[in-house]
Amino acid sequence: MDTAVSLTDITKRFDDVVANDEVDMRVERGAVHALLGENGAGKTTLMNVLYGLYRPTAGEVYVDGDRAEFDSPQDAIAAGVGMIHQHFMLVEPMTVRENIALGWEPVTHGGLKTDDARIDTEVRELSERYGLGLAGDLDTPVEQLSMGARQRVEVLKALYRGADVFIFDEPTAVLTPQEVEELFDIFSQLTAQDKTIIFITHKLGEALTAADGITVLRDGERVGTVDAAGTTREQLAELMVGREVLLDVDRAARGASGDDTRLSVSDLAVTDDRGEPAVHGVDISVRGGEIVGIAGVDGNGQEPLVEAVTGVRDADAGTVRFDGEAVTGLSRRERLDRGLAHVPGDRQEQALVMGFNLVQNAVLGSQHRPPFGRRGRIDWGAAREHAEAVIEEYDVRPPNPDLPARSLSGGNQQKFVVGRELSREPDVVVAAHPTRGVDIGSKEFIHERLLAMREQGAAVLVVSASLDEVVQLSDRIAVMYEGSFVDVVPGDAATEEQLGLLMAGEQPDEPVPTGAGR
Amino acid sequence: MSRALPEGLRRTLRRFAGLSAVERVLVSGAAVVVALLVGAVMLLGSGYVASCREPALFLAGTSFCFDPVAVYAAMYQGAFGTPVNQALTLQRMTLLIFTGLAFAIPYRAGLFNIGAQGQFVLAALATTVSLLALGPLVSGPVATAVLVPVGLLAGAVVGGLYGLLPGVLKTRYGTNEVISTLLLNFIATGVAVVIVKRAFNNPEIQGTVTRSIPEAATLQPWLFPPGTRFSVPVLAATLLLVGGFWWLLNRTTLGYDIRVLGRQQAAAVFGGVDDDRVTVLSMVIAGAVAGLGGGLYVMMVVGRWQVGLPALGFDGIAVSVLAGNNPVGLVPAGLLFGALQSGGLAINFQLGIPRELVDVLRGLVILLVATPELFRIVGRRLQRQGRLRPAGGESG
Repeated sequence: MDTAVSLTDITKRFDDVVANDEVDMRVERGAVHALLGENGAGKTTLMNVLYGLYRPTAGEVYVDGDRAEFDSPQDAIAAGVGMIHQHFMLVEPMTVRENIALGWEPVTHGGLKTDDARIDTEVRELSERYGLGLAGDLDTPVEQLSMGARQRVEVLKALYRGADVFIFDEPTAVLTPQEVEELFDIFSQLTAQDKTIIFITHKLGEALTAADGITVLRDGERVGTVDAAGTTREQLAELMVGREVLLDVDRAARGASGDDTRLSVSDLAVTDDRGEPAVHGVDISVRGGEIVGIAGVDGNGQEPLVEAVTGVRDADAGTVRFDGEAVTGLSRRERLDRGLAHVPGDRQEQALVMGFNLVQNAVLGSQHRPPFGRRGRIDWGAAREHAEAVIEEYDVRPPNPDLPARSLSGGNQQKFVVGRELSREPDVVVAAHPTRGVDIGSKEFIHERLLAMREQGAAVLVVSASLDEVVQLSDRIAVMYEGSFVDVVPGDAATEEQLGLLMAGEQPDEPVPTGAGR
Repeated sequence: MSRALPEGLRRTLRRFAGLSAVERVLVSGAAVVVALLVGAVMLLGSGYVASCREPALFLAGTSFCFDPVAVYAAMYQGAFGTPVNQALTLQRMTLLIFTGLAFAIPYRAGLFNIGAQGQFVLAALATTVSLLALGPLVSGPVATAVLVPVGLLAGAVVGGLYGLLPGVLKTRYGTNEVISTLLLNFIATGVAVVIVKRAFNNPEIQGTVTRSIPEAATLQPWLFPPGTRFSVPVLAATLLLVGGFWWLLNRTTLGYDIRVLGRQQAAAVFGGVDDDRVTVLSMVIAGAVAGLGGGLYVMMVVGRWQVGLPALGFDGIAVSVLAGNNPVGLVPAGLLFGALQSGGLAINFQLGIPRELVDVLRGLVILLVATPELFRIVGRRLQRQGRLRPAGGESG
């Protein structure tokens, strides 16, 4: 085997921030290599160097043994390096054929007409050779395809441009478990024909399943390169975080929950910003001391549902009750006053004022009531104490309450938001993606805190794109697909496979009893 | 992805975005000096081109009509030289603080109130009319104690109502407040002229003018010579009001709600801020403050309503932008504008500098002082969008 890609001593600096510090990485031809690390570890920066988006501050890039100095992605593509971004670079209203050929169209009549026949032949041939199954969809607009199919269009696009090395940035983030398996099949098809794959991930399981070799980055440095065979999840986690990590949530026995329904939602219908119905006919009730998880592929109505329950968005129909009291007609502030804590999915837009410092952000949502607001005035001394307490308890870094929220990393912003919200002593907790972007260590801590809320008798509703998280935390799991619940299953009986099928919209074979309140 | 800005420009914008308060004052001071130097060149140039009977300056055998040094000396004298001139400067500053606040407060809530002029004009009329109506009914020592508060209240209420209108239009029907407040200015002037012509015209004077308000309702100069139209207690109250608005914005729940709404609407909604209520409220407050300014203009300066009120409402926008839309910053910004107005008047009268050239000199100072502030605002916005990083993109 020979080396397809070799990065030697790559250093990339932004002002005084070192994103990559003398990173070495070698990938053999025909291999799948995972680039593993937490958010902010420098994975994407390193791949952007390989793809020609950044020039390294120091170090060298070799492709096929030749020194490569890319000024732009065009140079990288010419050298056979293709990248499939996390957010697909596709023109949604255009057809699959148009997207694949865009910018590389063969032409006839001296450039007056694109040679569709030739595109068709080449694309069909590639699709068949690599088992991408897109031959029948060439005339379909991309917006009508599933996320998995769109990803395959991206792969085909890279193949059409002659890529030999494929970089995937967090390729599984938007896929159902079944689609993830299909993706890994495509990996095998590609490597079988001597293509080389590098994929960026922060999920240990995926790296172990799909990759041959794994390079782990932490704080911009390479902390190790291991063979996937013979490495355990625990070893990888320790490399990633730099200390031993508890991977499984240690939770009290299920069924400890009380009988009182603290949060109930009946027949809820919500419209999204575009005026499209996004949620319809949703019923769920959560007892005190219970965690209900909502699983589903992103964009199936979880966000509008959470917003309608928490009062950020008006519902079109249906009722939301806190402790039996209908709150559907109440304002957001009135709901907060009734003991609601809400960790929103979009922390940078909603949960934090980016230009405010942490003291100012510490009172957001509580600015009108004691201990912060008294007779219309805000007690900034109390706010500062509160900010410092949250920073301390949730290990927000850097621990300086005078820094603007903008200057914190995403994970630290999230820790601050979760800390602020859970310190409201809530009766109802609604958390969307509570651990998105945080490191494994903090994830563990946030999970503990959510379980503590459960112990204290709060009703907890957790939405997460991570199936692991939903399964670990939830007493019951509701699976959401295209705006409604396909099924609600007990947490300890759920298997990933079963949930995956439900997430893809398949109806359950037989009706499963769905617990209280239905 | 949007196109990357050239590195040089990014570096400049980063520099401006990161200026501290002290640095901003220094930059503003430097800008005034540069403006004076550029203005001197303009004065020499136009003095060379113009023809005059007695040239003011001979240099290298050439005669110039205007001597920059003399012009600036006269300008300074006109603004600060005598108590009478100081009174005019401070009077303008006081009024500009009111119209400046009328722009600054909605701005902090994310709204552009271009309507201070209309609020000012209608409120001035309301003050005049209420004082004319009430004046004959009270007399003696209590007259002032009754008339002054009533006159100010009438101005504040009418100004507030005229601010309520665009606020409601925006929250109820989504009408853009820039358009509505701008247009409401024309309506205000037109309506005021019609009302005065039909009902309150002073028959003894040509033109659209009301009778004078009762003597007891006028705010008399104090510490300044009689005949000047500036009252020290009014300035003191204005400074208290500025402090009050600083306190409102920084120390109260309403101020917090306003600032969150102005910075990030989604975060305001998340934090339980009733955005419609805060929008309407900040427009009403702005209108009321502009209205107070209109009332003071009548009671302290002209003593009646007359057609062609000065464009203090529009100048207030510039003052507020110069002040970084910070209530406290309105004081120095208002002083600068006031001094330019009174000083400009003086060089026009005393040295015969054409009005147009006076406007050029004033414009230069405003332009050069405001430009760094503009760079700072643009820089901060781009920085927020992450577009000022040295080599673009995020680290992963």
